[in-house]
Amino acid sequence: MKYVILIHSNPQPWGHPTGDFIPEFQSLPQASREKLNAAFEGIMEELSANGELIGGQALADPASAKLYRWEAGEPIATDGPYSEAKEHLAGFFLIDVESQERAEEVVRSFSGPGETVELRPVATY
Amino acid sequence: MWRQESAHVLGALLRVHPDLPDCEDAAQEALIAASQKWPCDGLPADPRAWLIRVAHRRLIDQLRADSARTRREVADGIARRLDEPDPAAVEIGSAYDDSLRLMMMCAHPALRRPSQVAITLRCVGGLTTSEIAAAYLVPEATMGQRLSRARATLKDEEFCSPAPDELPERIACVLDVCHLIFNEGHTRTSGPELQGIELTDEAIRLTRIVRDVLPEHDEATGLLALMLLTQARSCGRVDHLGDLIPLKDQDRSQWDQELIREGVALLEEVLPEGPVGRYQLQAAIAAVHAEAESYEATDWLQINLLYGMLAQVAPSPAVTLNRAVAVAMSLGPEHGIEIVRDLLEHPAMQRHHRAHAVLAHLLEQSGDVATAREHYVLAARLTQSVPEQRYLNRRVEALDQA
Repeated sequence: MKYVILIHSNPQPWGHPTGDFIPEFQSLPQASREKLNAAFEGIMEELSANGELIGGQALADPASAKLYRWEAGEPIATDGPYSEAKEHLAGFFLIDVESQERAEEVVRSFSGPGETVELRPVATY
Repeated sequence: MWRQESAHVLGALLRVHPDLPDCEDAAQEALIAASQKWPCDGLPADPRAWLIRVAHRRLIDQLRADSARTRREVADGIARRLDEPDPAAVEIGSAYDDSLRLMMMCAHPALRRPSQVAITLRCVGGLTTSEIAAAYLVPEATMGQRLSRARATLKDEEFCSPAPDELPERIACVLDVCHLIFNEGHTRTSGPELQGIELTDEAIRLTRIVRDVLPEHDEATGLLALMLLTQARSCGRVDHLGDLIPLKDQDRSQWDQELIREGVALLEEVLPEGPVGRYQLQAAIAAVHAEAESYEATDWLQINLLYGMLAQVAPSPAVTLNRAVAVAMSLGPEHGIEIVRDLLEHPAMQRHHRAHAVLAHLLEQSGDVATAREHYVLAARLTQSVPEQRYLNRRVEALDQA
C-alpha cells in the first residue's frame, strides 16, 4: 500500500533539516533533539534497506516557487509561496508498506515539534 | 521465454550449493545465454538439461574467480560431485518436487509476506526484477533492494523440505503467496502491461504445481478452484472506460464457461473430502455465483450458509460484509443493514470505505435514500481506489436524479 508522507513546516529561515530552523525543536534539551534525529535517521535507514521507501525529496523555499492559476483561458504565473498560511510543504516521501498499521507506525518517526506531518494514501487504479 | 524453467534450474543448482544469491546469478546467466544462443542455433534436444549444464558451469566459474580461497574450494567440490560417475551419488528429484521445494523455501517465515511474494515470482516464476517492479508499481531499484534482502535472508537455507511438523504451515504459506499474486493481478483494472505476463496466469500456474505434487491437499485444490472461478468472471467486471460494473449488472455471457466447469469439477472432487478450509469455502461461494444465470436467480441462501461457515473458519470484516449482502438478498435489506451497523460499531471500521458502501447500498434497497446518500458520499471519500470512487459518486448522482 502506497502512501505519501508530507512535511508541513515553517523553518525560519527556510532550510533543511527543518528541525534546525524551528524554535520549538531548537528549544528542546540536546538529548531530546538527538533522540528525535536518531529516530528519523533510523527509520530512513530501515525503509531504505527493506525496500519500503520508494523516494522522497526535500523542497526548496516556497518563495522560489512559481504558481500557475487559470485566468481567461490560460495559465497566469505568479511568484510563490502558495498561501499565506504559516506552514508550507517542506518535503515528501513516498513509501510502500504492507498495511495501514505499518504506515502509522513508520510516520511517527518523521514527526517533530513545530511541524505537521501528513500521512496520505496514494490513489490506486 | 524459458523463464518457467527457472525453478528447475535453480533447484538443480541449490542441491549442490545451497546458496541462493550465487545460484540465482548462475541460473539467470544460463537463461540469458539461452535467449541469445537458441534463436540462432535452434532449440537443443533437451532444453532443461542444457540450461542446467550451462548454469552449473557458470556457478563453478563464478566461485573459482572468487578471491576467497574457501569459495574456490567449494567450486572444486561441486565440479567433483558433478563429474561423479555414479549417478546415484547425485540426488535426483522430480521436476515438480523441485518447484514445490523452491516455493516452500521462498515462503520461509523469516521473510515478510511481500518479500515472499517477490522472491517467489523471481525464483519460481523466473520474472525479472523489472517485471516484478512493474507488477507492483514500484521502481526497479526498490524491488531490487527487496529481492537482495530476501536472498540474503535465505542465503544459508538448506534446499530441502521443511521439517514434518513445519510442513503444513509452510504449504499454507505457499498457498497464501499464490493467492496474493492472483489478487494483485485480478484487482488491477488498468495499469502497465507486464509484457505478456499476467500475474493471474502465473498464480494459477504456481497453484497447479502445488496441486500436482500434493493432490491430496484440499486447500490447494480449493485455491485453484477459487482462482479459476474468479478468473472465469473477470471479463465484464470493468466497462470500456475502466469503470466498475456491479455484479448484478455484469454481462454473464462473457464469463468463461470452460474455466467454470473446471473449477466446479475441482470442488465436487474436494468438498466431500472432509473439513473445509477457507479457500474451499471461498471457491464454493464463487461457484454459486458462477453457476447462477442472473443476480436475482443466485442461490443466496446457499451463499448465506457458506459465508456463515467462512466466518467460523476465517472471520474478517470482508466476510461479514459479504454475508450481510447475502442475508439481505435472501431475507430482506433490513436484516443485512443490522449486520453492517453492528460492524460499524467498532471504531476501526468507521473509516472502512466498504462498510459504508455496503450500508449505503442496502439502505438504498430498503428505501432510505437520504441516509444511503450520506454513506455513499462517505464511502467515496474514504476509498483509495479511483474506479471505486467514480462508481460511488455515480450512485450519489443517480440518487439525486431520481
